[in-house]
Amino acid sequence: MPPIKPADLQKIGRQLANRHGKEYWRSLEALAEQPAFGAYLEQEFPRLAEIWNGPVDRRGFLKISAAAMALAGLAGCERQPPEYIVPYVRMPERLVPGKPLFYATTLSATGTGVGALVETHEGRPLRLSGNPAHPASLGALDVFNQAAILDLYDPDRAQTPLFGGEPAAYSRFEAEWRSRYTQLTRQRGRGLHVLTPPLHSPSLAAQLQALLAALPEARWYGHTPLERGGALAGARQAFGQPLEVRYMLERAVCIVSLEADFLGDMPGSLRYARDYSGSRGVHGKRQDSRLYVIESQVSITGAKADHRQPVPPSQLDPVARALAARLGLPVSPPVEQPVPDYWLAALARDLLTRQGQSVVIAGEQQTAAVHLLAHAMNARLGNLGRTIEYYQPPLPSPAQDLAELLAAIAAGEVETLLILGGNPVYDAPADLDLATALPQVPFAVYYGPYANETAAVCRWLVPAAHPLESWGDALAFDGSASPAQPVVQPIYGGIEPLRFLAELRGQLGAQPRQLVRDYWQSRYGDADFDAWWNGSLHDGVFAGMRASAVAAELRPDWNKALPPLPQRQGMELRFAPDPSLWDGSVANNAWLQELPRPLTKLVWGNAVLINPLDAAAAGIAQNQLVQLAHGTWSQQVPAQLQPGQPRGTVTLHLGGGRSAAGRVGNGIGVAAYRLRPAAQPWFTTVQLQPLPAEQQVITTQHHHRMQGREQQLARTTTLQELTAEAARAAEPQPSSSLYPEHRYNGYAWGMLIDIDACIGCNACVIACQSENNVPSVGPEQVRRGREMHWLRIDQYYKGGLEAPKVVFQPVPCMHCEKAPCEYVCPMHATTHSSEGVNEMTYNRCIGTRDCSQNCPYKVRRFNFLSYTGKDALTPAVIGTHNPDVTVRSRGVMEKCSYCIQRINRARMAAQKENRRIRDGEFTTACAEACPTRAIVFGDINDPAAEVSQLKSSRLNYAMLAELNTWPRTTYLPGVRNPNPEIARHEGQ
Amino acid sequence: MAQIFSRQANLLTRLVLASLVLGLPLAFFIGGAYYRSGWRTGQDVIRAQPVPFSHRHHVGQLGIDCRYCHTSVETSAFAGLPSTDICMSCHSQLWTNAEMLAPVRQSMAGDKPIRWRRVHDLPDFVYFDHSIHVQKGVGCESCHGRIDQMPLTRQAESLLMHWCLDCHRQPERHLRPQEAIFTMGWTPPADQLAQGRRLAEAHRLDRNVMVNCSTCHR
Repeated sequence: MPPIKPADLQKIGRQLANRHGKEYWRSLEALAEQPAFGAYLEQEFPRLAEIWNGPVDRRGFLKISAAAMALAGLAGCERQPPEYIVPYVRMPERLVPGKPLFYATTLSATGTGVGALVETHEGRPLRLSGNPAHPASLGALDVFNQAAILDLYDPDRAQTPLFGGEPAAYSRFEAEWRSRYTQLTRQRGRGLHVLTPPLHSPSLAAQLQALLAALPEARWYGHTPLERGGALAGARQAFGQPLEVRYMLERAVCIVSLEADFLGDMPGSLRYARDYSGSRGVHGKRQDSRLYVIESQVSITGAKADHRQPVPPSQLDPVARALAARLGLPVSPPVEQPVPDYWLAALARDLLTRQGQSVVIAGEQQTAAVHLLAHAMNARLGNLGRTIEYYQPPLPSPAQDLAELLAAIAAGEVETLLILGGNPVYDAPADLDLATALPQVPFAVYYGPYANETAAVCRWLVPAAHPLESWGDALAFDGSASPAQPVVQPIYGGIEPLRFLAELRGQLGAQPRQLVRDYWQSRYGDADFDAWWNGSLHDGVFAGMRASAVAAELRPDWNKALPPLPQRQGMELRFAPDPSLWDGSVANNAWLQELPRPLTKLVWGNAVLINPLDAAAAGIAQNQLVQLAHGTWSQQVPAQLQPGQPRGTVTLHLGGGRSAAGRVGNGIGVAAYRLRPAAQPWFTTVQLQPLPAEQQVITTQHHHRMQGREQQLARTTTLQELTAEAARAAEPQPSSSLYPEHRYNGYAWGMLIDIDACIGCNACVIACQSENNVPSVGPEQVRRGREMHWLRIDQYYKGGLEAPKVVFQPVPCMHCEKAPCEYVCPMHATTHSSEGVNEMTYNRCIGTRDCSQNCPYKVRRFNFLSYTGKDALTPAVIGTHNPDVTVRSRGVMEKCSYCIQRINRARMAAQKENRRIRDGEFTTACAEACPTRAIVFGDINDPAAEVSQLKSSRLNYAMLAELNTWPRTTYLPGVRNPNPEIARHEGQ
Repeated sequence: MAQIFSRQANLLTRLVLASLVLGLPLAFFIGGAYYRSGWRTGQDVIRAQPVPFSHRHHVGQLGIDCRYCHTSVETSAFAGLPSTDICMSCHSQLWTNAEMLAPVRQSMAGDKPIRWRRVHDLPDFVYFDHSIHVQKGVGCESCHGRIDQMPLTRQAESLLMHWCLDCHRQPERHLRPQEAIFTMGWTPPADQLAQGRRLAEAHRLDRNVMVNCSTCHR
């Protein structure tokens, strides 16, 4: 499909300006009505034709076909290979072969602890899900932590210590370190420098403190690409001390986000998402809750906002001052700021009428000034202690940063350098050149999980164990502590962090379990410690170990700390953590690379996001290469035209352009860090120069479209309309069909997806992938439209290009009552079960693809090539295969099964007790992972089941109901609650 | 002009036509017979094992209960093969020097598991669960045959899908009371069909579910 051209964009802008009502659109190409786009849609699997343009001629093709026929026939005669049963020598206690065992642990892929349950089969960790008892999870789990299971088996992980790039024994490192340590002790640690990422493990922090106490002249530096100095500095200016913030969104009915992506990338986002959806009374139980978002990028929090204002990143501060002034705070309002006055006035009035029930949240990446203003506004609105709580940062943090380390290296003071995790050579700001500085250090040790960019310039690499192989603990976003326990011996010989730190200070053979236990015994006390410890390990939470709230009082002279207003200069470049790759540390994870990012739907690479109107003005087309330049730094990045992107701002996600990530992540995307100044880590000015070249951006936004019917698939309404139409009856359900009737005497499984609660976070997509052995297919295959995700999240826009409304709609198989796929399968491979599940029997499927052709929802996925076994994109996948689900081979159709293996397991458990399955006894993988409980699954034959109750709502609707397919999966519409004042102004 | 085909060609043509008419069904028949035969299904084939374990001796003569060794048969999909220390719970006292048991002693001493050749090998797309069958009135004997009379273990039934479905469609012909699940040589009562129906009722068997594809394939 040809990319969209600037001339088309102006036409689209005019079209959208004339459109009103509830019309949704999905992509710019569709709006431009390009003939080629129509042709693209005609094909069920776009880009299939490209294969025929290869060098094979007709004769060659026939020969290959004949050979394939012959071989296929022979392959069918193959006998099953002999299988062996290898029982234990001594059976471990509590292990029942064939049944999963679950362990509670704490993961921290994104910097704060999140409770997780690890499913193990015969000792093999297989899958991660949320721990319902953990305050940061409540049963949900984010994409990064779910995908962490793949990293456990990643063969690209460092498997042995490296000395100057060559494998060496750990004992050799120990010997070298011992002599160095003796010398360091003599010098009281002078010459030792330690660089760490922010610490979130209390016992690890204690070990580090012990090391630094033993060597008092050693120096400790901190570095993280997710710089959040503004948050603590803002609190210090407001309250005189650095404080961490805990929001209680379940009590807030008016939420203002100053670019706080609290549903997406903020610490604690899983919990915040649950609390937020709770405050809105999801599933049709409406309350008067409202969300305003002012942001300089596109985020899922912005997509869920009732009112959103896109502004350039430098303008957050002026907007916050204008709002503070309207709330009556002693701040001089700026002369100019981009948000219209009527909008701010309405927002201020809304906030003032709901004092004590509102909250203003400043984003982690905001400057100290914005944080200070947010604290002041919360104090003014009486929110402190009601919707917002403060606590002291529980762990020590280093006083010095990377720039100071570089200065010390340049001064020749650094003899010994320990880099404990992170990847500073890759993710340091562009003006801090670690790659040339580190080789000057005589004895640099990098301790980390991969032989990455940093390891390459250090003398020693010591491989770190995976979190699932290590003892430890972690603090969650709210300061509560929880234990981490290993579920498997280190697969590749990694060293556990606690052991490594203890051995650094000469405690050879330290037992990590004992270290973490001793630490908590010192915190808890000796009385009943064993019972408390065992209980904590079982539950995955340290009961009673939570940082207590402190009373915070706004300093009377707080407004003196406000800096002069920043000046705006030209185009701004916003850096943001990647929604799928975070800071790039997980770039070797194929699940995450192939996960369509919310809003952009990009996979396998990043792009510079630019508003289509800005692109038209600058003459930039979709996929065109653009040179981004800041001073002497420059990068060439393909352009992605992103509706809703703030004007005058381009966004580039971190996490691309790894050179030593591993086989999966190398060379994918562009490194945003090479444009990032240390002084302004989150936005900077930039010059855009379109280049006469193109590089295709891979986005799934056009895939699996439903033939241009999108205007009616995802529905939204407003709270006002709901109240006005309260008397309206439910939509009539179809009752007649030419197809045979099914009767359901037992269970009848059904699903309900609440579009209002769905925040588009992708947790369900990864949960499904890991539960159902869904393979990754790689960039080339995704470009051809062959991604295999059983559950996709469709995304529609409404309104103009500047600030369109966005709606997310998860689409799994609908399990139609009158399923069009079932009638066309020549092999009876897809059938209707007696419980209404549309079954897929892989061993019968011969791959005619008639079913997919006949599916109006486009939810079926075909294995065009062999994506599993030895042909898998990454060998790591094999370790995570769920033994309860068939691994599909080439030529087989597959799709969502409603997690039939879970249904069967629950049915057998109930049958053994001669009872029915209780509602809520089990659920599907997607519903389990959902942080907002947008997906509800259950027995629709049971009128008391939650799913039946919700389906009885008059808002319940079926997608494409006019096709008379009677889908089992139905939807509740999105409900917005616009501020009437603003709505009047905007003519809605 | 001379004839292209000689007179013998007529015979050849007839033979080819006849072999098409007769040979094609014959090919299908032979193929079908092969498909059902033990050569393909593995029925009645005795496979070499590291230890020539005799169920006839342990079950038939000594009367050891199935569950003594197959510990998870009532709780898990996998019936469980005995860990070496289960073997050694007796054989540390009995036949302690028997040559036949050397692999067991080596396994215990070297902490190396014994690799048994699987006898009942279902395809990987079939998900069979032992626990639900033994809890719902299917005896061990119904699928594994007179294991108490087998000196060396063999697969007693074909394990073809139609064989599974025969019972899933008409379980009353095979169901037995709970106390007879582990019994070998159980004789069905004269009114087996009536008793089977009563048992199916009591176990709340839903035949529609039992013949769903997804009950075994997923």
